[in-house]
Amino acid sequence: MSNLPFSLYVALRYLKSTRRDALITFLSATAAGGIALGIAALILALAALTGFQAALRGEILARTPQIEVELPPDAEGEAARRSVAQLPGVEGVGLLIRGRGWLLAAGRARPVELVGFDGELPGFFPEASDRAEGLYVGDRLATIWGLGEGDLVEVASTRPTLSPIGPQPRVRRLLVHGIFETGRTEQEARVALPLAEAASLLGRADTRLSITTGGLDEALRLAPQVAAVMPEGAVVKTWRDFNRALLFALRLEKGLMFVAVFLIVVVAAMSLVSDITLILASKLPEVGMLGAMGARPRELQRVFLWLGGSLVAIGTLLGVLVGIGGAWMLDRYQLLSLPSQVYFLDHVPFLVRPTDVFWILLATVLLTFGCSLYAAKKAAAMRPVEALRR
Amino acid sequence: MSVPVEARGLKKTYRDGARRVDVLTGIDLRVEPGEFVSVVGPSGSGKSTLLHLLGALDLPDEGAVEIGGTSLAALDPRELASFRNRTIGFVFQFQELLPDFDAEENVMMPGRIAGLEVSALRHRARDLLAEVGLEERMDHYPNELSGGERQRVALCRALLLEPPLLLADEPTGNLDPKSGDQIFDLMLELQARHGTTAMVVTHNPELARRCGRLLRLESGTLQPESR
Ligand SMILES: Nc1ncnc2c1ncn2[C@@H]1O[C@H](COP(=O)(O)OP(=O)(O)OP(=O)(O)O)[C@@H](O)[C@H]1O
Ligand SMILES: [Mg+2]
Repeated sequence: MSNLPFSLYVALRYLKSTRRDALITFLSATAAGGIALGIAALILALAALTGFQAALRGEILARTPQIEVELPPDAEGEAARRSVAQLPGVEGVGLLIRGRGWLLAAGRARPVELVGFDGELPGFFPEASDRAEGLYVGDRLATIWGLGEGDLVEVASTRPTLSPIGPQPRVRRLLVHGIFETGRTEQEARVALPLAEAASLLGRADTRLSITTGGLDEALRLAPQVAAVMPEGAVVKTWRDFNRALLFALRLEKGLMFVAVFLIVVVAAMSLVSDITLILASKLPEVGMLGAMGARPRELQRVFLWLGGSLVAIGTLLGVLVGIGGAWMLDRYQLLSLPSQVYFLDHVPFLVRPTDVFWILLATVLLTFGCSLYAAKKAAAMRPVEALRR
Repeated sequence: MSVPVEARGLKKTYRDGARRVDVLTGIDLRVEPGEFVSVVGPSGSGKSTLLHLLGALDLPDEGAVEIGGTSLAALDPRELASFRNRTIGFVFQFQELLPDFDAEENVMMPGRIAGLEVSALRHRARDLLAEVGLEERMDHYPNELSGGERQRVALCRALLLEPPLLLADEPTGNLDPKSGDQIFDLMLELQARHGTTAMVVTHNPELARRCGRLLRLESGTLQPESR
């Protein structure tokens, strides 16, 4: 304690003694408290957004293929599938046919997206009890229509067949094989059905490959390699391409939130400047005396930098504690609930990302340090003889 | 350790817009190492101004100051600060002590600035305070000390690093004659013991007469004054 550097030693003493001054105390509290408030608010706001985004991403990405390749109309689907399957890192390749159609049951009809698959039901139809080949409908539609396994439905294509009595819709009668979970974010009903049935309804013109890899990042890494082995005219899309607009919106939202909430820190930094300036003014004769005794200008400046720095440190520490602790509590005990009928989550999730905290701290420290430096410079510019004549 | 002080052709004018105060119009001065000089003069004659110039706190408009062979004009603010710290002990006219530090801490401050080891400084500060009879007042803050006690503490602080030059601006101001006498005795005694070169401003002609040499500052110049 006693062997502190001169500037810190004096700064700590001033921090203590200026508590007797009501205005300075108020400004110090505003500065430190404002920084704490700003940091806590930033951490909480970003944690809530991150929590939402993680949930939303999980929800949406579970219903998006990792990589999907649109093959050109004349391409040989089976050959393309074999060449992709050989790539190291690819865990599964399936043929898909996508198209639009109608689901009809018990006299009711509804437009649906048809997804024909071969082999196992693809992963982007989550939570099905059984993944064998067959017809699958979403649980929401199944509940509304009272459908269950083994019920008979009709699937109609929007592509008609020409017959002697005019164009006739193509219709297949199929048994419901299973139910998958419809996400709360899913706008349109999807129906999965065997590839052969889909081909007879929609034709084979829009054949695609659905590729599964070890993970989302792995999929992004593999996409160019997939493109390289595909025939001319094929379009390779990753989960990121499917959700580009959404992912961008999420990032933008976070950036705007950061800027808006950071204004609290900006205001706190302003009061830090007035605080340091006021302390400096009230201590000017003493600072002059220290200068006369041989304290170098830089050292006197450092006294006030330490002063600002300790207020920043107190505020930052408090802010981080409240922010991270608060986020943990709110998430752990699900304190903020949401109406589950309205939203896909029943509480506000909080997820603190270390990189977010890092950027918050970096921005705060840079700004407040800059402000402290600006205010403290006046101590270095002071001429002892002028201060002594006060 | 002590140093000579030499000033040649010092001039200082304060300008404040149209107003002009010619305070020092030509000061030539040489103080020998270990000499004790006192300066008297009417209020406003520029005694403090002169002391500030000699103490490397302010720069003259014209002329040069040399302390122990070092020309002050050649030093930048950083070097001036270090020079003051090592070479000069000040007793100021108005602000004697730092209000946020107790007596002992005040005395230690020049050593703190120099970055010296704290326990050794504390030792030295206690010895000095004991020498001036303040062993009971070490942990008192300035507002808990009497005027005379404060000036004794200020003197201890000026002498902490055993500077070769002591500059004191009315160290006995605002004191009753008896206390002023005591402080002055103390200063003479300490100065004699350490062989410090000293220059003391005072309004008290009796005290001034007890110094080795007496100078009078009047209308901007210094004249020797007979005792
Ligand atoms: N910064 C300044 N600006 C203008 N005039 C000044 C300034 N500082 C001092 N003066 C003037 O210079 C003159 C000398 O001042 P100084 O403080 O040196 O006097 P002094 O001899 O120490 O007086 P005292 O015995 O009252 O302490 C005074 O007339 C004062 O008004
Ligand atoms: Mg004076």
